[in-house]
Amino acid sequence: MKILVCISCVPDTTSKIAIDPSTSQISSQGLTYIVGPYDDYALSRAIELKESNGAEVIVLHVGGSESEALIRKCLALGADSAVRIDGNPISSTQIADAIVDYVKENPVDLILMGKESIDYNSGIVHGLVAGALGYVHFNPVMHLDLAGNDLQLEVEIDGGKMEVSCALPAVLGCQEPIAEWKIPSMRGIMTARTKEISVLPLNPTDSVKLVKASIAETARRNKMIDAAEAETLIDLLKTETNVL
Amino acid sequence: MKNVAIIAQTKEGQLNEATTQLLSFVSKFNPEKITLVVLGENKLSSVGSSVPVDVISLSDGLWADTSAVSSLANAVKGYTIFGIKSIQIDNILSLLASCLKAEVVSGVQQLGYSAGVFSIVKSIFSGKASLEISSSTASIFSLNRNFDFSDVSELPAKAVNSTSVLTYSSESKSSITALKPITGSIPLPDAALVVSAGRGLKDPSNWTIVEDLANALGAATACSKPVSDLNWRPHHEHVGQTGVKVSPNLYIACGISGAIQHLAGVNGSRIIVVINNDPEAPFFKHADYGIVGDVNDILPRLTKKLQSH
Repeated sequence: MKILVCISCVPDTTSKIAIDPSTSQISSQGLTYIVGPYDDYALSRAIELKESNGAEVIVLHVGGSESEALIRKCLALGADSAVRIDGNPISSTQIADAIVDYVKENPVDLILMGKESIDYNSGIVHGLVAGALGYVHFNPVMHLDLAGNDLQLEVEIDGGKMEVSCALPAVLGCQEPIAEWKIPSMRGIMTARTKEISVLPLNPTDSVKLVKASIAETARRNKMIDAAEAETLIDLLKTETNVL
Repeated sequence: MKNVAIIAQTKEGQLNEATTQLLSFVSKFNPEKITLVVLGENKLSSVGSSVPVDVISLSDGLWADTSAVSSLANAVKGYTIFGIKSIQIDNILSLLASCLKAEVVSGVQQLGYSAGVFSIVKSIFSGKASLEISSSTASIFSLNRNFDFSDVSELPAKAVNSTSVLTYSSESKSSITALKPITGSIPLPDAALVVSAGRGLKDPSNWTIVEDLANALGAATACSKPVSDLNWRPHHEHVGQTGVKVSPNLYIACGISGAIQHLAGVNGSRIIVVINNDPEAPFFKHADYGIVGDVNDILPRLTKKLQSH
């Protein structure tokens, strides 16, 4: 079985986001990048499946060469090979198209990725890929098991969850608790050095234009209430905010 | 914009408030006709609109299969399509976009349209920043739950023009083996009021004071990641970067220090109240109202005050 895991490389969750005045876009200066937390869950489950059932795990990333260290980390965790589609994508459609083009040339059985990337929060790449390939699609998946040629899934839905049995090939958006995040072993780090990262070109798009980014400033009241008079909170919520 | 389709959210067969507002909002784009796509139960006979409204009812709206969406795609080809972000609606919009080869934008916070070009403000980094996008080709939009509908006015009710039913393909490659709805509580993503608690509660048995306050307010309960990791509370209550993102009118955080990953899930809240015995808790910097004190003392007093009214 071939599993393709698509990863995003995103600023660390504790990053302070700033704007680069020369481009009016989010500045990458001083940011530490990580593999998207949800993608990391997807990769961890793929590696568990490889260990328990045997599978070939390929990591795919659409982005620039600065992501190679993170791709190498995925290889150290146990992925067999990687492909980087080189460029700076500006829309979910552009990323999805790149994944679809790759899969059409290099068929796989299962495509896993996080339910969303934590930078642009769109959460639609998995659906776009599934629709274009005509594969089964579920999102967000919380448990994933193989049963013969079928998948047994637990999927969150609005207002609850459901258990699903489905056929391959499939595209799944993943979230916790599908697997525990893993830490690469020393042996994994050594063997990752010789694993292949192939580089393919990204097709340009002009369907959207990024005008400018800005930082959201939510002004809070920062009003402290003495614990002895805690009950006044209820009155203030009614009179000052009308939320009650 | 000639034809508009809205993926509707219903409650007991009627449009929910957000969908009603969305219906009014799209009328400012002067469409000739609006098609409401209703998932699940449909009892719509009239809706607030200034233009004729058709209804497409999906026989089983619970989940969208790739093969099922293609029949819906044929019905809304060439339309500009809107929905309000939910798990199901984003899944359907993305599958529709790929069937229709249409550009889709998710997480829309503001939307304008002039001379064939959309100007879109999309929230990014969990609401910490926003991105202005312009596009003449985008035609599918998933609007954030806290999209500002304040300038839309209520439209008079209009009888539904026609209703058609689409059934899902029987060639489906998947089947639901069990459904587990969360019952008996207010769904967190939709809640207008939320009472949330963290490790400061010390023990899961102490949650009654949180539930009592939530009941007195008519609020949903939520928790921080450490609490759901410890299995003190169910995973679906976890609010934060990797959990549910909420945008209620009121978010009361009890015994939560306010790690940046937690803030990422609550940034969209209108009013934030923080109750914590540690005056140095970083959450106080992001609070509208703060009380330094013991949750075991403060919460029951707030509950009592609410009940006395």
